[in-house]
Amino acid sequence: MIKLKGITKQYTRDSLGLEEVDLDIDAGEFVSIVGQSGTGKTTLVKLLIAEERPTSGEISVGGWNITNISSRDIPLLRRQIGVIFQDFKLLPQKTVCENVSFALEVAGEKDFRISQVVPRVLEIVGLGHKQDRYPHQLSGGEQQRVAIARSLVHRPKILVADEPTGNLDSINAQEIIEILKKINEFGTTIVLVTHNREVVNQLKKRVVTLHNGRIISDAEKAKYRL
Amino acid sequence: MFSSFHRIIKFSFQDIVRNASLSVMTILILILMLLSINTLMVVRVLTDESIKAVKDQIDVSIYFHPEATEEEINEVREYVGSFPEVVDETYLNRDHVLETFKEHYKDNEEIIASLEELGENPLGPTMVVKTRDPKDYQKIIDALSIPEYENIIEAKTFADTQKAIERISAITTQVERFTYALTALFAIIAFIIIFNTIRVAIYTQRAEIGIKRLVGATNWFIRGPYIMESFFFTVVSVGVTYLIAHFVLRFLDPYIAIIFDEVGLLTNYFYSNIAMLLGMQFLAVLLLTVFTSALAMRKYLKV
Repeated sequence: MIKLKGITKQYTRDSLGLEEVDLDIDAGEFVSIVGQSGTGKTTLVKLLIAEERPTSGEISVGGWNITNISSRDIPLLRRQIGVIFQDFKLLPQKTVCENVSFALEVAGEKDFRISQVVPRVLEIVGLGHKQDRYPHQLSGGEQQRVAIARSLVHRPKILVADEPTGNLDSINAQEIIEILKKINEFGTTIVLVTHNREVVNQLKKRVVTLHNGRIISDAEKAKYRL
Repeated sequence: MFSSFHRIIKFSFQDIVRNASLSVMTILILILMLLSINTLMVVRVLTDESIKAVKDQIDVSIYFHPEATEEEINEVREYVGSFPEVVDETYLNRDHVLETFKEHYKDNEEIIASLEELGENPLGPTMVVKTRDPKDYQKIIDALSIPEYENIIEAKTFADTQKAIERISAITTQVERFTYALTALFAIIAFIIIFNTIRVAIYTQRAEIGIKRLVGATNWFIRGPYIMESFFFTVVSVGVTYLIAHFVLRFLDPYIAIIFDEVGLLTNYFYSNIAMLLGMQFLAVLLLTVFTSALAMRKYLKV
């Protein structure tokens, strides 16, 4: 599903994001990418959603070589990869329903289809009864669930979660991980970027550890080790 | 496709409302620019009309010797009439000339007394010639300045209105230059304001733009609202300018009618050229606004 071959990302002469990274992630996998701050985790996310281009190497997503993806094709890629972030990235002046609908509106979906899809996705994340609330009226965990719902409306094959529990307490973090596991059970590949030891250890899934831009370990059913 | 377009319009109106003061300022400057262009048009029309009025008053008078025979006069008239430049030729016989002369000097007793003392009509017939263009008068005068006509034609006068025309043209050129400069100034101000309007819009919506990009909006979907804003600014400014021009020209027309003796001169010109005038102005403003928006987006909107 995701293939990185000899990926290096050099920002400046002194700033190296990733170095010679080889990584294969199969369809339906749940992979945690762990590492300390500044080890290249966010660079990896940016490369996957084509926000950055690699300095060298090749990246393919679902068999699509996106190494030198054209700016015209980037929106198509981003509709195939759902992304959630630590800061949720919700629009404060829009309701829960509008925030989720927005992802379909910008993709040119018809109103009729939006009105069908959005309530269904909100039910999946357990927010069907709060669709008319504004982000500031929700808890952090609920806001993250809105972001997950928004990332799911395009039915992505891959969901990239960049520190999704970074701003949440342990109870809310647990809720988010449970939702991610549920989504993974439906067949979506999950790439979880985190430095939350508890979360990784409890998942008992594949763990890829980055250090100074390099992969230093890649193990199945592993624990957070650094 | 249609729903995307509909949403682009919706987002562009949201931007306009959020940056209401800048939007109003942009439209105001565009209106001022268009009004100065329309002032240029009014100046043009008035100048053309003034020059036409002055040209209408120009003619060349050919005074025949009182002794010139009818045959000789007819020969000259035929000769002058053969010029394609001549549009009108009026012949005044001796009696008519005398009548006109007396009428002209009726208050000057000395002249009237001298005329009566002579006992006979000392004035010869006169021919008044009008040409298509004032430049052609010199040609007619030169053509008649040949030895064969020396004994037939006593004098040829050409009212020197060329200087008046030149003066009108000089004033017009100066007014036009000033108006061009004013138009350019408004265009530059409009450029700066539109540029900043789009820049501020991009800055205030950077989070929204980031989210649009994240969820897979196309470049056109992100840029579309700003292009629509330019279109909206153009439509409103041209529309308001049209209304202002309509009322101002209707207000000016009665005053202009006093000078040029033509009712509804400006309004008639405006409406008989409305498609060209509004079309050109719409196109010019649209080009300016779209170009400025495109430049601001290129600089500040990385999609």
